[in-house]
Amino acid sequence: MKTLAALKVLVVEDEALVSMLVEDMLGDLGCEVVGPAAEIEEALRLAGSAEIDAALLDVNLGGRPIFPVADALKARGVPFAFASGYGEAGLTEPHKGSAVLQKPFREADLRRVLEGLAAQVV
Amino acid sequence: MTVLEADAVSATEEIVDLRRRLAEAQAAHADEVRRNEVFSRIAAAIGAHQSLGETVQAVIDGGVELIGAQFGAFFYNVIDDAGESYMLYGLAGAPPEAFADFPMPRKTAIFAPTFDGVGVVRSDDILADPRYGQNAPRRGMPDGHLPVRSYLAAPVTTVDDVVLGGLFFGHRETGKFDARAETLIIGLAAQAAVAIERSRAGEAGHRELTERRRTEERLKFALDSGRLGSWELDVGTRAYDASDICKSNYGRTADQDFGFDDLVATIHTSDRERMLAAMDEAIRTGGDYDIEYRVVIPSGETRWVHARGRAAVRDETPVIGGGVRRMAGVSLDVTERKRAEERQRLLLNELNHRVKNTLVTVQSMAAQTLRAAENLDAFREAFEARLIALSQTHNLLTEQNWESASLREIVDAELEAFAGRERLDFDYVRDLRLNPKATVAIGMAVHELATNAAKYGALSTPEGRVTVAWSIEPLEAPARLVLTWTERDGPRVTPPGRRGFGARLLEKGLAGELSGVVRLAYDQSGLVCAMTLPLAALEP
Repeated sequence: MKTLAALKVLVVEDEALVSMLVEDMLGDLGCEVVGPAAEIEEALRLAGSAEIDAALLDVNLGGRPIFPVADALKARGVPFAFASGYGEAGLTEPHKGSAVLQKPFREADLRRVLEGLAAQVV
Repeated sequence: MTVLEADAVSATEEIVDLRRRLAEAQAAHADEVRRNEVFSRIAAAIGAHQSLGETVQAVIDGGVELIGAQFGAFFYNVIDDAGESYMLYGLAGAPPEAFADFPMPRKTAIFAPTFDGVGVVRSDDILADPRYGQNAPRRGMPDGHLPVRSYLAAPVTTVDDVVLGGLFFGHRETGKFDARAETLIIGLAAQAAVAIERSRAGEAGHRELTERRRTEERLKFALDSGRLGSWELDVGTRAYDASDICKSNYGRTADQDFGFDDLVATIHTSDRERMLAAMDEAIRTGGDYDIEYRVVIPSGETRWVHARGRAAVRDETPVIGGGVRRMAGVSLDVTERKRAEERQRLLLNELNHRVKNTLVTVQSMAAQTLRAAENLDAFREAFEARLIALSQTHNLLTEQNWESASLREIVDAELEAFAGRERLDFDYVRDLRLNPKATVAIGMAVHELATNAAKYGALSTPEGRVTVAWSIEPLEAPARLVLTWTERDGPRVTPPGRRGFGARLLEKGLAGELSGVVRLAYDQSGLVCAMTLPLAALEP
């Protein structure tokens, strides 16, 4: 169990304006941003080896699904949440039930989701 | 005269009498034979499955011959809007024209017993009959009517007492029809009733058959035009009969065998169980069978078929389980519709994705603008300008089906809102098409650069100029676009104290989003923004 302060959060988001918003919000919450990664190769690299506590994943990365990154995080035991305009409907079957941040979201929504993730950090 | 002589006379008389009686008997016998012949001829005509008209004609002709009448006719009982009327159906001894000018008979006193089925009317002289001439306006036969004196009429009635019509016979001389004639005609009328009913039933059957054939042809036409296949399944034997179009829906030609096992084997393995369950359910409950499933046709292609069916119980024999003996139905190739639905679903998802993403983008722009704004007026001005800049990129993309936009058009569109566009120079060899993501990103970048130039840079003074130049460097791997924004002859430039939204968007956001490098150089002669972006991230 960790607090949001100094929580290292990997951000995977391919749209500059959106990742700027997320970075600002995370900064306001006291988290440390890792990334943001805008493409899948970079995201996979960070998910596999970067020092991170949690991750926030845009479901659709330039037309490519993010799920391999989610799988890599799962394998490493890093809690993550999806950020998606589709809500849970945009997730594939094995990932249904994962935490989802519905776009657009408020800072309070992000905090709630992050607190959920932080609670899973051992 | 001796006794012998007397005996001889008596014997002679007896012989004469015997001869007379023999002649009479022979005549009566001949008469009987003739009548029998007539009856058998009528019976043959009835048995020959002739048309209603031919049957009636055989009856009338036979009747005329049987009783030695001059005229014979059959009038049909027809109920029309005005009540009952009687239609001439057949005639003997006179041409049909003999009746052509007369109205059809009405139920006058003389005709009523016949058309009401009460009984036979026989008259040695119809003109002397008390019932004759009682009805206005004609009071008797119309002028020019066949000259009837002897009259014999019998109703033609079915076993259910339905009066089909009447048989009428006449002779121009009086006293021609005796009691025997009456008996014969009663017999004939009974035969006529059977014949007419049978003939009608035959014609009705024929009509029904013709109608059914036509219906089937129409159905086939409808099925063919709608590319609907039809099929029938014997539930007990699993014998499956498919039409040519039905076979083609499963990728088979008309001459190929296609049984129930072939059908099941053609259905996609993931849909097979569902199909069999649906069919079992329909058979068990007698309900409708209505299902869409994928089929893998022999060429290996996957297609969609919509099949519908219904219980078609042909006999009443009870079946164990109370189920259905036969099912009949249609099949339709719905591959195109399914593909269109899939395209629509993807488009809708894509649209939803875009809308949500745009909302987040706007949310981000608002948040960033608010952070940097000194007051609400400044926020409003900057935010609206950014919103419109975003909208311009969307306009360009919408024109091209959201597939791409030209780099030159992007720059033009973003600079449209600024004064001093004549101080803008372009330097490039060829235009370039950018994918939607790059279009939005570069559009926003150009907007930020132009806004900055109009506020602090080359576009803030009359002398300042801006050059937008780009080139493609294909030799370096990966191939990349080098895009530069160069300001000169403007006010002296100094690096800003803190990095604003524009600088952050360019150096960090744009670079990250397009996997490239963006550098801002605050040269004294003016701002220079150099973007080096891999083509792979830009191309549609």
